Amino acid sequence: MIITRSPLRISFVGGGTDLPKFYKQYPGRVISTTMDKYVYIALNKNVFNKDFILKYSITEMVRDPIDIKNTRFQAAINEYFQNFDKPLEISSVADLPSRTGLGSSSSFSCALIKALLALQGENASKEKIAQEACRLEIDILKEPIGKQDQYAAAYGGLNIIQFNPDESVVVEPVLIDFKQLNIFNSHLSLFYTGMTRSASVVLAKQQTKITEQLETYKKMSESVYDFKNYLLNNNYRKIAEILHEGWLRKKSLSDNISNSQIDSIYEFALNHGAWGGKILGAGNGGCLLFISEPTKKEELKTELEIYTRSLGINEFEEIPFRFVQSGTDILFNNS
Amino acid sequence: MEKFILDFIKKTENAIEKISTLEIAKAIHIIEETYERDGRIYIFGNGGSLALATHWVSDFNKTVFSHNLEKNIRRFQAIRIPTTEEELTAWANDVGYDMVFAGPLKNYLKETDCAIAISSSGNSENIIKAVELCKKNNIPIIGLSGFDGGKLYKLADAKLHIPTTKGEYGVVESAHGLLLHLITNYFKDYFDDKK
Repeated sequence: MIITRSPLRISFVGGGTDLPKFYKQYPGRVISTTMDKYVYIALNKNVFNKDFILKYSITEMVRDPIDIKNTRFQAAINEYFQNFDKPLEISSVADLPSRTGLGSSSSFSCALIKALLALQGENASKEKIAQEACRLEIDILKEPIGKQDQYAAAYGGLNIIQFNPDESVVVEPVLIDFKQLNIFNSHLSLFYTGMTRSASVVLAKQQTKITEQLETYKKMSESVYDFKNYLLNNNYRKIAEILHEGWLRKKSLSDNISNSQIDSIYEFALNHGAWGGKILGAGNGGCLLFISEPTKKEELKTELEIYTRSLGINEFEEIPFRFVQSGTDILFNNS
Repeated sequence: MEKFILDFIKKTENAIEKISTLEIAKAIHIIEETYERDGRIYIFGNGGSLALATHWVSDFNKTVFSHNLEKNIRRFQAIRIPTTEEELTAWANDVGYDMVFAGPLKNYLKETDCAIAISSSGNSENIIKAVELCKKNNIPIIGLSGFDGGKLYKLADAKLHIPTTKGEYGVVESAHGLLLHLITNYFKDYFDDKK
């Protein structure tokens, strides 16, 4: 049995600049952190069973990997596992639902690749896991997504991640101690909107417009440094402004990044104590992140819950979280 | 006499000023990650460096964590390698001095762990063998070195290097003691803060 896990991530600014249509022309950058919510993979070699068993939101039992419905499971097994005579049983367990804008799909890929390589006796490096997850999702599965989530999940921690035109990626940790991180953490509130979406659909539309909006993307890429400096100086009001501007810029990029319900929740939060915020992930659903005075968080939460219920969104809920340092890890291995 | 005293203090001060804060932060991140995934820390060195390793382990295990055991169900251990003199002499006598760390370490090491290697020259063969074992398994290494850093400087993921002229053991080991106490103090606060 092998158990691996990858953290989910919160991306603050620069999302979209990790798409090749942009970073082939100008270096893309994001600043993001990982949090204490994980995707776990448990993998075991079947001794008697002749079928592959894959457990996620459904259970699949197939003799031949070609019949696996889940594209990531299928591609990963094809790439990193050859001994089809001795099939595998693999379970995926997550702290949060998928499609929430917290990078869970790539966290899943990273944990799965880490487990399949561990089965071959390899404790793969962070760099290799990130590169392989990008290869799997972008090159093999042709998903129209960027590279930030794979690197965020594999490396872990609070980083500036830079995507260079030559496809190289540089992960630069932001050096901030746990006390300062806790203070930052105490200014943040994360809410699940109850609306889920596929990042691929949003991003596919967004990619077609990158060339005409190059200057906006360049500003997004540059703003990671402002974010970092304000963070190191505990200037959370300025950070909130950057998030707010980033959110407005992002909305201007494509008409399906937001919708009227998300807009109204966001406006409501700004009128009830939030200094700024953003939608997490590609947009159009998922999670909302707000910055406010720590003492105002409870009130903001209560008001938002009442408001969203009045809109008929019953799944709206706060997700308490803490930042973590760890990336994709093997937790248990007796194979 | 006064000149000798002031010279030593000056040399130590100069050495400490050159320590990279970036590399210390990296070392702290490595230990935080190890805690989060329920791993362990292994530490080793020769002679005075072994004394530093043992001193750090006793500080880390007692000062940092013992008063948090009631409120925190998670555990975290630092272990000096080898753990007993019997193991050390058995490996040295039966296999060779180059295996006194790598030999015992192989039995402990899991993917969740990290290692701290201490070598003033950065070239002690037995230290490098243990570090290479970690490298082979992608175990993160915090390397405390002196002089020109040697092989340990090149191999370590977090390079806690004290640049001095060759042979300045007193200065290097004093600065290593300071670095290890810095790490202890950071984690004392870190665990006191955990709810």
